[in-house]
Amino acid sequence: MTVAIDVALEREGVGGLETEEMTLNMGPQHPSTHGVLRFVVKADGEVMRRAIPDIGYLHRSIEKISEKVGYHGFMPYTDRVDYVSAMQCNQGWAMACEALAGITVPRRGEYCRVIACELGRIASHLISVGATGMDIGAMTPFTHCIREREKINDLLEELCGARLTFNYMRIGGCAWDLPPGFAARALDFINRFEPLIDELNELLSFNKIFVERMANVAVISAEKAIAYNLVGPNLRGSGVRYDVRRDVPYSVYSEFQFDVPIGTGEKGTLGDSWDRYMVRCREMKECCRIVRQAIEGLPAGPVIAKVPRTFKPPRGEVYVRVEGSRGDMGWYVVSDGSAFPYRTHIRTGSYTAMSIVEELSPGLMIADLVAVIASFDIVAPEVDR
Amino acid sequence: MASYFQNIRETLGTIFEGLAITASHFVRKPFTLQYPDRIDIPIQDTLPFRYRGLLDVDLEICTGCLACERACPIDCIVIDARKDTQTREMILERFDIDLAKCMFCGLCSEPCPTGSIHHTPEFEGADYSLESLVRRFVKAPVAAYKPTKGPETDPTIGPVLKRGLRYLDEFASPGAS
Amino acid sequence: MQQFADGLMEPGGPLAGISTPLGYVLVVALFAFLILNFIMLVAGVTSWVERRVWARIQSRIGPNRVGPQGVLQWLADGIKNIMKEDIVPEQADRFLFKAAPYLTMMGFFGAFACIPFADGVIAADLNVGVLYITAVTALVVVGILMAGWSSNNKWALLGGIRSAAQIISYEIPAGLAVITVVLFTGTLSMQGIVEAQGAAPWKWFLFANPFLFVAFFVFFTAALAEGNRTPFDLPEAESELVAGAFTEYSGLRSLLFFLVEWGNLYVIGAVATALFLGGWRVPAVTDNPVLLGVLQFLVFFGKSYFLVFIAMWVRGTLPRVRVDQLMSLCWKYLVPISFVNMLGAMVFFVLFPEGSPVVRFGMVAFGAALLVYFLSRVVFHIRRARPEFHLSPFA
Repeated sequence: MTVAIDVALEREGVGGLETEEMTLNMGPQHPSTHGVLRFVVKADGEVMRRAIPDIGYLHRSIEKISEKVGYHGFMPYTDRVDYVSAMQCNQGWAMACEALAGITVPRRGEYCRVIACELGRIASHLISVGATGMDIGAMTPFTHCIREREKINDLLEELCGARLTFNYMRIGGCAWDLPPGFAARALDFINRFEPLIDELNELLSFNKIFVERMANVAVISAEKAIAYNLVGPNLRGSGVRYDVRRDVPYSVYSEFQFDVPIGTGEKGTLGDSWDRYMVRCREMKECCRIVRQAIEGLPAGPVIAKVPRTFKPPRGEVYVRVEGSRGDMGWYVVSDGSAFPYRTHIRTGSYTAMSIVEELSPGLMIADLVAVIASFDIVAPEVDR
Repeated sequence: MASYFQNIRETLGTIFEGLAITASHFVRKPFTLQYPDRIDIPIQDTLPFRYRGLLDVDLEICTGCLACERACPIDCIVIDARKDTQTREMILERFDIDLAKCMFCGLCSEPCPTGSIHHTPEFEGADYSLESLVRRFVKAPVAAYKPTKGPETDPTIGPVLKRGLRYLDEFASPGAS
Repeated sequence: MQQFADGLMEPGGPLAGISTPLGYVLVVALFAFLILNFIMLVAGVTSWVERRVWARIQSRIGPNRVGPQGVLQWLADGIKNIMKEDIVPEQADRFLFKAAPYLTMMGFFGAFACIPFADGVIAADLNVGVLYITAVTALVVVGILMAGWSSNNKWALLGGIRSAAQIISYEIPAGLAVITVVLFTGTLSMQGIVEAQGAAPWKWFLFANPFLFVAFFVFFTAALAEGNRTPFDLPEAESELVAGAFTEYSGLRSLLFFLVEWGNLYVIGAVATALFLGGWRVPAVTDNPVLLGVLQFLVFFGKSYFLVFIAMWVRGTLPRVRVDQLMSLCWKYLVPISFVNMLGAMVFFVLFPEGSPVVRFGMVAFGAALLVYFLSRVVFHIRRARPEFHLSPFA
């Protein structure tokens, strides 16, 4: 905008209206960078010329730790990879180890995992949706989301004894069976929660001010999204119907009926921030469907297979993928036959989402950058690991 | 021009709807629990049995098998046990848990044969120094518990063991896959 | 006020024998003292009320520990802030940095001179009262811009610039809405505007005709923007600009800014009440002038505080607009709407110089229908969510 004015003034020979580019440090201690992210923003007034993400403030060398603590002992650390939805990280690690050693998880164990993961996904999307509202300036949806998340946390606390770092799964299954009455309470929660998604949509998602802030902001075409390796809701927001649960089914997801919501572009352009946001709102409903089906079809039997305490998988390497809340999460594990992994690598969705921010930023306003980060649902520990 | 009025209509309509939703919250019950003082029962009593709070050890039923020490991924449990050559008993000389390091993962209580080491619903562990967070359970060397065949007869150990085994029962027992 | 001062200085009065200028100064000082204390109290309690209202909207309880139901929370916060260190950044323009909160304070405090609390209870019934309030509240922007510039912080500077653009722009729709009212009263004096209305709701300007109805909403929106309230709290925008223009302030100075924010809320409510909601007008229920005055004051306070409550409620509902949308909302929507509205009001005034009872009745019916529809939506949302009820405002 300002650039256009400059050019126009110069053409008319007026000149003299000089603007100076200023460098802003957004983060690592900025209220809306979702943890410790840092953006070096080159801005001309309110309009950004460039926003360069600077990552690494939350690096805890989790991958290296896995080489020191062994296969069983690494499970609690996977909770810290993406602490907003730790269940899927648990599952990724467990599945990688099971694939290495060729262990089959009992069917009830898989169902328990699905229930826990989908509840965790709802909790994670609630944080994302609420935090988006908060970044846009609406505080109320955030507390409503936290309230519902709290109910999920209560359920998961009953299931595994922790509210954030679950450490629920073990190699070969789950550490705890569903407690008595859990299924009924989970169903009750879901029945009460589903109307609240509509309420949230009416309060925030379809609010005109919110739509204006999110729609047509930071549009990512499907080609660009694939080229930048966006995954999960960020990819689906651009209209690509791709979900690991559906397209590369793992666990028992192939037994459930669920839709994969994609961006529709109904409020603006396909692939804008609003689409990415809305995919999460719609996904919560699908999660409810999956949990309901899983609870109804819960088979009897053990939840964990017999796995030796000293777990020594045979030599080999494996790459497994799970659909985390932030998209396709890859776990690459190399075993040298000892009790410790030779190498572990975790591929996360937030990390790739960070790479497109610089490409999107020119021309956006500073307030938009906040909306864009929120719409990507970036969780800082998942970026750095 | 049509979009101009459409914008006005949408703005007013959605704001109206939003205000109705927030107004409906004026009669809803607040979700807040007024921890710690204005609650009917201590919050610890409302937590589920599986809650993973501060670690506790019932030394009466500790067998000195060191399974917890081996399972701990961060080595926050330190046990010194030696075998008494005369009585052939395990003597526990040291059982320290560094709660400052502990990450409450629950991996130690899982392999315990008697449920001696277990998580309590207690979570208020704040302290002024790191040193005081190291819980030293063994004050003077004691003999480790030796599981008896059949039900436990000792009246002091019986209830403790019962609780410990109940804690263990919560964990899923592995089945053949 | 002059009559009051003259009355005191009459022979036999408490100030008899004092030179006239000195007497006036004393009376002015007395009024200023009273009003300053009144607004401090209102601003403080408003901060508590806002947090409680906001909390209930958000399924929380809010501050309830200091004093009964936490009503003294503002005092605790104030004392804490007063005892904090007053930090002035090294690179800041020290004089401007220190002066800015007072300038902001002045702009907002000055508005109280022309707020009609009751019949005759007004510090100065200027014949340009509305104009004076519009002008003097714009002084706030100088303080905020000064704070933003002198902090020598880029976030603060952005906040200051936003504030300047915002307040100056929104003066226009607010002014046009006020003009629509003035059209019907023929006077700019606040008391004159109040007296032109009646006690009953159907005699308020809000329901006098559709144009004044629209003008009320335009005025209220513009006033929210001038008071830096959500959805227009861009100068502060804590998720974008950390704390905007006030980023570098601490201690008492930052407290003053917050005081202005909450005090301004009351100014918005009071001015809107005087202009549209019948001000202090009550039916003549008693002959006792003191009792009537108290009643008028309570009615005025109640009405204006209800508008304050609505501003809190709106804050708990809406997200924040972006800075370019803020401008387009003002220049593309509010300014044209209020212009057309003013022209319509002129036509209406030519057609019905005395007002039209039919239109008046229609507007009241429309307002009632809107309220009923609103309540039905509230009931719908309650029934859908099936919540646990808690009707008491306290928890």
